[in-house]
Amino acid sequence: MNAPTTAPAATQTRLRVDTINTYYGDSHVLRDVSLHIGAGETVALLGRNGVGKTTTLKSIVGWLKPRTGSITLDGEELIGRDMMTIARKGVSLVPEERRIFTNLTVAENLKLAQVTARKPGWTLDHVYEKFPRLRERLTHKGDEISGGEKQMLAIARALLQDVKVLLLDEPTEGLAPLIVREVENVIREIKSAGITTLLVEQNLYSALAVADRCYIIDQGEIKFEGTPAQVRTDEDLRRRYLHV
Amino acid sequence: MSATSETAPVAHSRGGLLAADARFALLCALGIALFPFLLHPLGGYSTLATQIAIVSIASIGFNLLLGYAGSLSYGHAMFYGGGGYIAAILLLRVNPQHPNLWLCIIGATLATAVLAVLVGAVTVRLYGIYFALLTLAFAQMVFFIIEQAKDWTNGDDGLQSLPNALLPIGPWNIDLTTHLPSVNLGPFGNLGELRLWYIFAGLCLLLVLMLARMLIRSQFGEVLGAIRENEQRSTLIGFNAPAYRLAAFAISGALTGFSGALRGMFDGSIPIDAVGIDRSGSFVIYTVVGGVATLFGPVAGTAVIMFLENVLSAVTPAWRLIEGLIFVGVIVFLPRGLSTVLKQQRDKNPRGLFVRSLRPSTEEPDPLLKPAAEGQRGGPMSIIETFKLGKLFGHFAAVRDVDFRVDPGELRAVIGPNGAGKTTFFNLLSGTIAPSSGTINYKGREVSRLSGTSRVHLGIAKAFQTASLYPDQTVRQNCRLAALARVQGRFALQVFRRSTRLDDVDALAERAIGRLELLDVADVRAGDLSHGDKKRLDIAIALATQPQILLLDEPVAGMSKDEARKTEALIRKLSTEMTVLVIEHDMEMVMGISDSITVLHQGTVLATGTPAEIRDNPRVQEAYLGGHSEAELAHG
Amino acid sequence: MEAFFQALLGGLVLGLIYVAIAVGLTIIFGTLRLVNFAHGAFYAIGAYVGLVIAQHIGVGWAFIAAPIAVALFAVVLDRVVLRSFYDKEPTAQLLVTFGIALVVEETLRLIFGATTQQYKMPEALQGSVTLGPITYPAYRLLFAAGVIVMLALVWLFIERTTYGLIVRAGIRDRIMVQLLGGNIRQASTIVFALGAAIAGLVGAAATPIYSIDPATGFAFLVPSFVVVVVGGLGSFWGAVLGGLLIGELQSLTNLVYAPGSSVIIYLCMALVLLLRPQGLLGESEVIRQ
Repeated sequence: MNAPTTAPAATQTRLRVDTINTYYGDSHVLRDVSLHIGAGETVALLGRNGVGKTTTLKSIVGWLKPRTGSITLDGEELIGRDMMTIARKGVSLVPEERRIFTNLTVAENLKLAQVTARKPGWTLDHVYEKFPRLRERLTHKGDEISGGEKQMLAIARALLQDVKVLLLDEPTEGLAPLIVREVENVIREIKSAGITTLLVEQNLYSALAVADRCYIIDQGEIKFEGTPAQVRTDEDLRRRYLHV
Repeated sequence: MSATSETAPVAHSRGGLLAADARFALLCALGIALFPFLLHPLGGYSTLATQIAIVSIASIGFNLLLGYAGSLSYGHAMFYGGGGYIAAILLLRVNPQHPNLWLCIIGATLATAVLAVLVGAVTVRLYGIYFALLTLAFAQMVFFIIEQAKDWTNGDDGLQSLPNALLPIGPWNIDLTTHLPSVNLGPFGNLGELRLWYIFAGLCLLLVLMLARMLIRSQFGEVLGAIRENEQRSTLIGFNAPAYRLAAFAISGALTGFSGALRGMFDGSIPIDAVGIDRSGSFVIYTVVGGVATLFGPVAGTAVIMFLENVLSAVTPAWRLIEGLIFVGVIVFLPRGLSTVLKQQRDKNPRGLFVRSLRPSTEEPDPLLKPAAEGQRGGPMSIIETFKLGKLFGHFAAVRDVDFRVDPGELRAVIGPNGAGKTTFFNLLSGTIAPSSGTINYKGREVSRLSGTSRVHLGIAKAFQTASLYPDQTVRQNCRLAALARVQGRFALQVFRRSTRLDDVDALAERAIGRLELLDVADVRAGDLSHGDKKRLDIAIALATQPQILLLDEPVAGMSKDEARKTEALIRKLSTEMTVLVIEHDMEMVMGISDSITVLHQGTVLATGTPAEIRDNPRVQEAYLGGHSEAELAHG
Repeated sequence: MEAFFQALLGGLVLGLIYVAIAVGLTIIFGTLRLVNFAHGAFYAIGAYVGLVIAQHIGVGWAFIAAPIAVALFAVVLDRVVLRSFYDKEPTAQLLVTFGIALVVEETLRLIFGATTQQYKMPEALQGSVTLGPITYPAYRLLFAAGVIVMLALVWLFIERTTYGLIVRAGIRDRIMVQLLGGNIRQASTIVFALGAAIAGLVGAAATPIYSIDPATGFAFLVPSFVVVVVGGLGSFWGAVLGGLLIGELQSLTNLVYAPGSSVIIYLCMALVLLLRPQGLLGESEVIRQ
């Protein structure tokens, strides 16, 4: 890490990723990645395509197993646990591809999240209140709804469970500008609900608008840790790691 | 096999190489000669020995398909029984007073070869369970036809008490039922128990073993193995995979038919079961128990199981259960069969049988002398061009109305956010998938409907996002396969020669290895390479097909900074000789090496221009930043 | 005309057996991606368990014991042998399940002998029912009705229960089910046991009609695979449609040209594979599996 740690651990650390190294086969994708998220915090992980953002999330949820390092949730080690166990501890990933079950209806997608939850989170009514568009689409199959609705549904699925840490992988990707605003509003709602969130984004504006702190990752290494304001004002930083 | 000896100039003495073949033949002959006498103390008898020798031929044929082409047939009884019936019908209908064994056996073998070509033509495009079931379906149809053609086949009762066919050799008419002279061999039985049939069957088996060895080690066998190991890669270096599988299917079927004909002639009868479903299953059992993809495995498996069937059945009613348990045990614990227990040595001799007599033809001018790229930069003709190119997956348009044009010699980068359709676009160019709409022109000729294999031979080669290699082969062998495809073409039934003697293949492969700086690891298994070397090997494979356009899908993804810069330099050098299209996320590299950049976004072309133009294009910024301008960002 | 209706009913009964076996095959393939050549063995074990219980304890108990015994056997098989084959290539799966089928068949032969056996239904069910122009054995009609009810229950389980929801989600995306905390492994085991139990129950129930010998399992397996391929591997309604189609095709061919009844289904499958390789109701994405 080049940059000094600026944000003091004001609150209790919810999720701590400590010098993990993750490989795809022989490909060394994450190199000594460390980050931490306090309870109730919204943290953004920024970086260009293919630099290790999604790999970091996959390492946290047990989809990929880091070869070295440690990942703890409220002090409890997660590495070595399987995906189901980690999910049941309250680490909830909303993956980049949304992964809506296209053979199920919207209602069934929501129902599934409820039945697989260890503890319930939001109620369905609460979800419908925040995502009114989903209520109109309940009987549609997962492949009959728009990209924006899919993203809402994917987030809603996570919120129906008792989430301790929400991991959002590029929630605005591939969406039309108008829908992007809508998703941004949803993320603000989540933040104001006090849910601990790690937000992975290429979309700088979306991320900087809601994040309390941010990390920048490049070539599998964390290059920067700081505040959104620092990223906004540091043109050179953005040019080096974030822009085309 | 040491790769240095392969590529060394022709220094090996011919005597040495013939000696190896002779040694192999002698060893086989010895085994076959001793076999009935070893079987005797175990309770076997001479008829069983002969039957084992005959059926082993079918198992070898079956294994050529399962072990070397990777296709599990559940219908080989159609060839086995079919061969038997055809031989018997020839025996009964053609000159029944003086039946000729040659006619019956050769006629049946040729007929089953034709059957195999016909069946193979419709089955080889299927895989796994679909292939198994379709071959089963055809076998059941053959069963039906044979069962119904009662006038010829005697229906369910089979053909019994066939007359004895003589084997004319020169002036003699040999009766194979003649016993050998009686010589008492103590515990090993009596030589006189054997008939001449055993010698004939043994010679046939010997011949088939040598044929199988030659096939496996030939250029044809090498390509077949490559297709089995990585069909995707094989297709995109220019091998016509279905044609190879069809050839393997035909050879396999013909050998099985040959075996069935021999068995019918030896037994003097053909039961309807010879075309039945259990018969098809038996070849699976024999081969798997003995060892899939080994030379002697099928023979060993046939011997063990047929021995159990005929000897153990007299001792215990549980013999079939024992057989089944052996089968499951082998699959679970010894996936390569019993012969792995015997520590079968891989033949170290890299030379084939007819290497000298069949040198590669010199029709092909030295490919290294041809310039790789033609035309000058910015000339009137583009090298590749697309018009309104589109690809739908279901309702999702991955690529939409893409107009794209690259000049000869250009280095063009294709960038865009995740899901922009970049890889789909490359797959359309390389022919891995067919477009839903629009056209692709290559050097002024439309290629939209051509297969990927055909396009490789026109000069379009691709390196994959995830390196697509032959992990069990060395780096050098990987590149040689690609060079071989370039030199020999889409399909060649080169069963007599080995590719190791093709100098032009060597030259192409060595050049590709050199260009990607892989010389240090040339003899390392591809599967053991580091990630960066794997990615570079993938490019070397594409390069060895001698492309005019090289498509590189994220060539430096996952590499460390140093490796990425090294690879970047190599690509820059390659681009002086050919057109290069590269998808890449590493912006430092994209901006550094590209002549021009095309940005894809949501399946369409957002912009095309020089690196500087792209960097300053507000629409591109918007696509990457998510619908907000730079100004907006700066003011939060 | 009467013969035609007889054949039609006969085809229905036969087709329903195929449907029941094929539904098991297809849901197992859908959730576990396992091509199970041992599925016929489940039918045979069920038939023999049913036979023994029916002869010694009572027919009613046979229908309870058979599916339970077969389900237990399936769970053991799943945990002990098959587990390590789920991520292997289909050819390896075909081979190992073929081997298991072989072992089961031979074990049954050792225990029960090779002869064909049958058990009698209670008197009450031995009569015939007259339906308009035709008379048909009562038990066969009852059997058909029973299989239909059972299939309906399976359908309800898959479509209407929370477990079924996990199963259906798992068919599409095993990873996402786990990311939501779903126990996909447990769901898979349940599906495997359920598919096996269906085959076992049908085996027990069909024995008074078709009788049983050790090779019957395999004899029913092959047409059931044809059914699955014709209907579309992984599709519930494909298995239903394919089963009824193949059953009727076989039965009606038997009426017009008896010898052709064994081969017609293969012709049908070959045509489907060549013209629509994913099957009548299948999705094209599974074809390369």
